[in-house]
Amino acid sequence: MRSWIILLGGLALWAVHFFGLYFTGSIFLSSGTARSIAGLFTLACAAATLLLMAWINRQSEAVLAGWVSPAGRAGAVLALIAIIWQGLPVLF
Amino acid sequence: MTSETGFDPKLYDRFPTSGARPRGELEELERIWCAPKGWQYLTVVNNNYVGIYYVGAAFLFFLLAGILALVMRVQLAAPLMGVLPQETYNQFFTMHGTVMMFLFAVPMVEALGIMLLPQMLSARDLPFPRLSAYAFWAYLVGGLAFFSSLFVGLAPNGGWFMYPPLTSTAYSPGINTDFWLLGIGFIEISAIAGAIEIVVGVLRTRAPGMTLDKMPIFAWAMLVFAIMIIIAFPAVILGTLLLEFERAFNWPFFDPTRGGDPLLWQHLFWFFGHPEVYIIFLPAAGLVSMMVAMVARTDLVGYRLVVLALLATGFISFGVWAHHMFTTGMPTLSVGFFSAASMAVSVPAGIQVFAWIATLAVGKVRYNTLALFIIGTLIIFTMGGLTGVMVALVPFDWQAHDSYFIVAHLHYVLIGGMVFPMFAAFYHWAPMVSRRALSERLGKWVFGLMFAGMHIAFLPMHLTGMMGMPRRVYTYLPDRGWDLPNLISTVGAFVLAAGIALFVIDLIRNVRLAPGGGNAGNIYGAGTLEWLPTELYSTRSIPVVKSRQPLWDDPDLSKDVEEGRYFLPGSVTGNRETIVTSPLMAEPQYLQIMPGPSVWPLLSAVFTAGFFLLLTVQAYGAGLVSGVLAILAVLRWMWETDRPVKQPFVDIGAGINVPTYVTGTSTHGWWAMVVLMIVIGMIFLMTVFSYLYLYGRSTRFWIDPPDAVSLALIVGGAALSALLAAGSRRALLKGDGRKRLAIWLLILASIVISAVTFIDYRSWLAAGLDPEASGQGAVIHAFIGLQACLSGIALLMAAFVAARGARNFIPVPRSNVIDLPAIFIIFTAALGAAGPGLVRLFPGTL
Ligand code: HEM
Ligand SMILES: [Cu+2]
Repeated sequence: MRSWIILLGGLALWAVHFFGLYFTGSIFLSSGTARSIAGLFTLACAAATLLLMAWINRQSEAVLAGWVSPAGRAGAVLALIAIIWQGLPVLF
Repeated sequence: MTSETGFDPKLYDRFPTSGARPRGELEELERIWCAPKGWQYLTVVNNNYVGIYYVGAAFLFFLLAGILALVMRVQLAAPLMGVLPQETYNQFFTMHGTVMMFLFAVPMVEALGIMLLPQMLSARDLPFPRLSAYAFWAYLVGGLAFFSSLFVGLAPNGGWFMYPPLTSTAYSPGINTDFWLLGIGFIEISAIAGAIEIVVGVLRTRAPGMTLDKMPIFAWAMLVFAIMIIIAFPAVILGTLLLEFERAFNWPFFDPTRGGDPLLWQHLFWFFGHPEVYIIFLPAAGLVSMMVAMVARTDLVGYRLVVLALLATGFISFGVWAHHMFTTGMPTLSVGFFSAASMAVSVPAGIQVFAWIATLAVGKVRYNTLALFIIGTLIIFTMGGLTGVMVALVPFDWQAHDSYFIVAHLHYVLIGGMVFPMFAAFYHWAPMVSRRALSERLGKWVFGLMFAGMHIAFLPMHLTGMMGMPRRVYTYLPDRGWDLPNLISTVGAFVLAAGIALFVIDLIRNVRLAPGGGNAGNIYGAGTLEWLPTELYSTRSIPVVKSRQPLWDDPDLSKDVEEGRYFLPGSVTGNRETIVTSPLMAEPQYLQIMPGPSVWPLLSAVFTAGFFLLLTVQAYGAGLVSGVLAILAVLRWMWETDRPVKQPFVDIGAGINVPTYVTGTSTHGWWAMVVLMIVIGMIFLMTVFSYLYLYGRSTRFWIDPPDAVSLALIVGGAALSALLAAGSRRALLKGDGRKRLAIWLLILASIVISAVTFIDYRSWLAAGLDPEASGQGAVIHAFIGLQACLSGIALLMAAFVAARGARNFIPVPRSNVIDLPAIFIIFTAALGAAGPGLVRLFPGTL
């Protein structure tokens, strides 16, 4: 289980983020409230991804860690970039 | 390295074994896995046969839909042609799109998976051979019947995405639409059956030692593919059901005059529809990754990145569905989010393309037909990807939407992303199933014609689109400047078709199927396990995997495997069997006894298809009979399963002992049940989404929910039912004496949960809820309907367990026959409390 979290954690946070954005936009439309919520949510997800990376670095005895950890770290980096990128529309 | 199951990896060093194998061992394997004769070809279940049938059927649908496309192109060759009247043209483009997407693309990749995966993973077969047989027959019978609607002029005509209100009874009164809704809904069930098989197969039946990082890329791709099907298809199944309910019973899910919303359909459809594109592309990309490594004669560059790209695509493709709805007036901010997300999708796809290019660049490429098709893939798919980024830009999409630009874009993506890889795969894997390879000389012509034809046909469509030609029009007026590009497109379509026709000739000339050995073998010198020598039983023994290209790294592997020097060199229990391994490290866990040929999957498929088709033509009585027969056939098929054998432990080679019967969370049956519960859970979640969506639209027609007493009864009843089911498992643990009690508890649990559903229904009736009056009424009835189905299944399971108990077919103290129904009932109880809770507490007058 821990190996799967390492491998998929970043991507899962990314998914949580875009569903969050969808619900914010659908409920609060294009209002200022929506922008603030989405912006804060983006920061929260980005922070969570950073925490995840730190956590992955501390995992050594997970099964197949030698392969899973680098892949999971790369996934987290990808997710971090994507989360920030997808949050950008709140600025416009 | 940590072990996953406590298995000692040093044991692998015992292989390859030495010394002579006992006499008669090979003969016994051959006897157990013997080839079918005559009628038995209909009852085979092993993947060597079912895989070939499946690929053949999918290819047939490709040809049929292609013929429709050619006729359409003739109609469009010049302005005001009279080949196809308007209504027929509508049916043609709808059928072409639908058949290509649902009866060709998805089944084809699933078929390739069923054909290739057991070989690549070196399993004797996938874990549920009868389920793949069922999936195939359901698909074939349902697909052919669906296609035949065209011959009687009753084919669906609302476009492949069937938007209401065009497809509501007001504008589509005939049964054309019902053919689509029931036909496609049914075929999705077959796709899900295949997906369950693939998830469990990839995670649990890999050869020992094939850890995740040594898995062939195609297996990764199929794993992501199957999980995406499991998450995405429930949305469209629910959508088709709701639209069918609206048409049949006048429940206004999509009717805004009574609190429904046609956009709900678009959400449900595209939540499935966008992932669908990747569902088609990812397995094809997996094939390309494997073939690229093979033609370049080197390991794939960036294996880990490619796996990551597959996974990332799987996740993100669920977050972009609304880019198909940019023109529907969504909030601007949401449009911004979806636009950004859509552009992000191109990153993982880009990673894959660059990994392929890099692999080709570092290796020494042989330019055979197969390499040409791969290069064609790269060019065509990249071009489609570029126009994809263009339409992800919202202002551009407002212009291009519903024009021929989109037709050009989607064909570049689909043909580059799936058709060309498929042809490459045909050339590559033909020697695995046929005595002779396909012709290189003809192959280069096939490629040339297809590649040129593809561009001649679809490149001009970008232009016709920009010049304003809308899609889905059966003709156009002269003097718009559309004549020439359309004529060129038509010529191109025929050039492309000529290439495909030449391929069919090649098939007929060269392919001599050899499912049971005697195939042409590894003529391209590939390194993965499907190229081990195989017979009907797959490989003689199951190797220990130490690298990603075992055949390259161990030149003796084929010989040792063939001489039975690895796992399971014979049959240890006298049955068909394979090794089940752990999901991450592929450590051997137990021996699975596999079912042999059977007529019941075929019969269940025919009767299920009959059920849906008879409903479509409104023969309700006959439909019901067919449905009951289908259920009986499924029960009969289950009857023979889960019979422990005499030997509790067996030696699967070199003195390594594993059990032959296990229960609990590590069994393949449990995994399949969990996957099935995810499917049902997704249907439930999508219903929740529909409920909230309609609530957000308008509550003008909504009524107050029933009182708190009913909710208390429902939650209490559901809890009781779950406790009873859990108790049943407990009772069985106490041994033979409590077996009767266990069965009774299970029966009681299923009765209680059915009663809960009934109470729910009655309480809403008393509150005055009318399914025809409002979106609320309609969705709540959908919830109750779903719950009624699940309760019905729970009752059937309990009856089945009782029947097996009466015949003493339940092993004690643990039995999958009790376990699986018990967790199903607990799950049903959870949904049975959650659904009524939601619709009573939210919007909340309690
Ligand atoms: C063999 C070459 C092919 C040709 C000549 C062709 C031609 C066409 C034509 C003429 C249309 C109708 C355009 C309109 O009136 O709007 C169309 C639509 C479509 N095609 Fe193809 N096609 C081909 C292959 C494919 C393949 C391989 C796929 C998918 C795997 C595919 C998927 C679709 C879809 C989804 C539509 C949209 C249908 C709709 O509007 O509802 N086509 N194609
Ligand atoms: Cu899309």
